[in-house]
Amino acid sequence: MVFNRLATFVFAATEADWDALYAEQLPRVYNFFRYRVGDGAVAEDLTSITFEKAWQARNRYRRDLGAFSTWLLTIARNVAVDHYRKHRHHEPLDALDEVPGGQTPEELAEHRSDVERLGRLLEQLPERERELVALKYGSEMTNRAIARLTGLSESNVGTILYRTVQGLRDGW
Amino acid sequence: MVERHRAGTIARMFHEMNSGRIGVQDERSFTMDEHLMHELRRDPDPEFAVRLRERLRRHEHAGAALRWRPAFAAAVTVAVVASLFMFPSVRASAQAMLDMFRVRNFAAVEFDPERTQKLRDLKQDNPVLMFGRQEVIEKPGDPQTVATPEAAGAIVGIDVRSPSELPDGLALQKVWIEGAGAVRFTADAVRLRSLLETLEIRDLDVPQSLDGQVVSVRKPQVVYQEYTSEKRHAVLIQAKSPEVSLPPGADLPQLAEIGMRILGVDATQARRLSRSVDWHTTLLVPVPVNASSFRGVEIHGSPGLLVTSSSKDPGAARGENHTRDKGRTHGDGSIVMWTEGERVFAVAGNLRDFELLRMAESVR
Repeated sequence: MVFNRLATFVFAATEADWDALYAEQLPRVYNFFRYRVGDGAVAEDLTSITFEKAWQARNRYRRDLGAFSTWLLTIARNVAVDHYRKHRHHEPLDALDEVPGGQTPEELAEHRSDVERLGRLLEQLPERERELVALKYGSEMTNRAIARLTGLSESNVGTILYRTVQGLRDGW
Repeated sequence: MVERHRAGTIARMFHEMNSGRIGVQDERSFTMDEHLMHELRRDPDPEFAVRLRERLRRHEHAGAALRWRPAFAAAVTVAVVASLFMFPSVRASAQAMLDMFRVRNFAAVEFDPERTQKLRDLKQDNPVLMFGRQEVIEKPGDPQTVATPEAAGAIVGIDVRSPSELPDGLALQKVWIEGAGAVRFTADAVRLRSLLETLEIRDLDVPQSLDGQVVSVRKPQVVYQEYTSEKRHAVLIQAKSPEVSLPPGADLPQLAEIGMRILGVDATQARRLSRSVDWHTTLLVPVPVNASSFRGVEIHGSPGLLVTSSSKDPGAARGENHTRDKGRTHGDGSIVMWTEGERVFAVAGNLRDFELLRMAESVR
């Protein structure tokens, strides 16, 4: 009927498969925060805040303006900024919280040490570099998508990421 | 899937890079770097994922209850309008003449949004099926995009009107036509009684004579003109009035009362409205209590209805897809509806109310 169409336009939020969206996006947002702020518990808290905000505002999401993941990560970035405004220190990236199969205790200890070491290196990155790393490796976004999200040029994103990874390697 | 981490992977990779076995200058080494960085990813804890999903599900339910869901509400409107006319008097049903419903006025009615959720829980979110069977006589087909409003008018056979005033930044983006459609409803008294019982509405009767009565609804072609800017959008909709063929002698007030009570309208209000509204010409627009505001307006001297759906979660999604007016969020949008002669108009969008009304007034 007339008003069904109308309503679809006005509210621009036709019913989505929220279960599928959640399953698809949760790891991306969670890992964004793992790389962005570190600690697993804090990452969980900030992931929760992000999704709750997104779900409360989901009727405002307009499909024609961009991908849902981009919209969600825009909210996540803001949540991260709010977090740092309140907590000036960075959390360390937590060590392995699961036991990989088929590994000796020595191998486990070595891997745990590697994670902690890289976490410490990430903590030392400037805000912008750490956010790009989080978007690239935590959320697995393409350079182009990161560029759209951050307002940087695609080539600039690539250059910054390249240098950042170089820096991490040098710091290792 | 949880990606298992190989012990010493990171250390070995950095060692290999530092030892020159994997240089960072070539394409292959860059790929290795990326692989390395991904090694720190984790799947979220399953218990956390389940807990969060449950919380979000409550938002979905609460949202459905607290927010105006116009698609559903509109469908309910149509169903209510249709259902209002299903009751024939036994004597009159023998007559061949049918009454006709045409939209001339709009009436907003506040309903209990929790009822919407309850109907959803009852799998009754196709409101038409609450009352009986639905048979599609004519499908509208896919929308047809046209170049100009004039081109749309030539196809539809009406002089398509356009706004002469647009809020800053808005420009015509797209014109399209939605085809005509027709459906036929057959009432099912048993189903309706069962629904009333489930909803614990026990003070209303569903007459047996309702059973098997047929109502036909025909929706003419509809012309849409979409106006957009970077963050704002509006659409002008116009069509001839939909027509509903009614069994003669229908006790419209009684059926209106049943329809409103199913929607969760307060019993007293439903009784009062059912007796004060001209159901041959009035389209009922359900508006949830506390989630939307509405008021009667006048467009070109004709009575209209302005409905604004507002939300108050300014922390969410900063800056995305909504505008503000003195602290009030208009992210969900407003709609103004009015009629002129045989035509029904609506302007809807995420504009401020005064902009929406000004745009409507400029439609000539």
